[in-house]
Amino acid sequence: MPEISATSEDTRIYEWCILYPYLLGQKEEREFFKEVEDLFAEVGAKMVAKDLWGRRGLAYPVKGAKEGCFAVYHYEMDPAKVREVDVALRIMKGVLRHMFLKPPKHYHIVKFSETYEQWLKDRETTEEVRVREQEEKVKEQVARKAKRQAKLVTSERKKTKEPALEAEDLTQKIEELISDDSLNNL
Amino acid sequence: MASPNHHHQHQGKQQQQRRPDPRLKTCPFCEHNTLYLDYKDYPRIKPYLDYFGNIRNRYYTGVCLRHQKMLKQAIERARFMAMVSYRK
Repeated sequence: MPEISATSEDTRIYEWCILYPYLLGQKEEREFFKEVEDLFAEVGAKMVAKDLWGRRGLAYPVKGAKEGCFAVYHYEMDPAKVREVDVALRIMKGVLRHMFLKPPKHYHIVKFSETYEQWLKDRETTEEVRVREQEEKVKEQVARKAKRQAKLVTSERKKTKEPALEAEDLTQKIEELISDDSLNNL
Repeated sequence: MASPNHHHQHQGKQQQQRRPDPRLKTCPFCEHNTLYLDYKDYPRIKPYLDYFGNIRNRYYTGVCLRHQKMLKQAIERARFMAMVSYRK
């Protein structure tokens, strides 16, 4: 998007950000937008850009709403009329918060609804990376544990080897006895 | 008794382990010639907020004063619009 500038000397470009609750009905939403845009049209403002963000979770509840939608407008209007619109928006039903500001010098209009979605996708991938790393860690831990257990088993075997030898001796003795018996029987 | 080189070796090891001086950081916004910071750009603001939602000290982030002021303005606007929390 190119750099924005007002077309005439009497007007300035203003950015308006409006937060409204997440309405389920599409019809209600459309009516709300119409109401807002009519407000600007009454004052003779010219729309430069419009960006609807859609459903967003809020960082803190505003007037009981935990979810809201943002609408960002760029309007070219007379500075004397800004206050009028500001007061009207403050009274208007369905507006949770609103804010207007003069964009700084060299400002480029960016559609944050799109960039945010892209960021969410990127963040998902980073999240996946984190999950993968955690899984690898767990695998390593399991491998280490298995090694430790294997070591324990071998050491136990070493301990148990001596009685095993005794058992062999015993079997030998028993065999000798058996053979003796058999000799006796003969 | 320790060898005469022992002391020097120990010092060298310490220098390797030491963290880089936080004052030597360069401003990440100055590197990209940032002219303004937008309050709507959440991914950009996010790294400069700590767990509790406070703005990180520029001593640690390395942001220059000019950009820190822009950042503060942007974060305060985002807080008002409930994009960023005031306090967690």
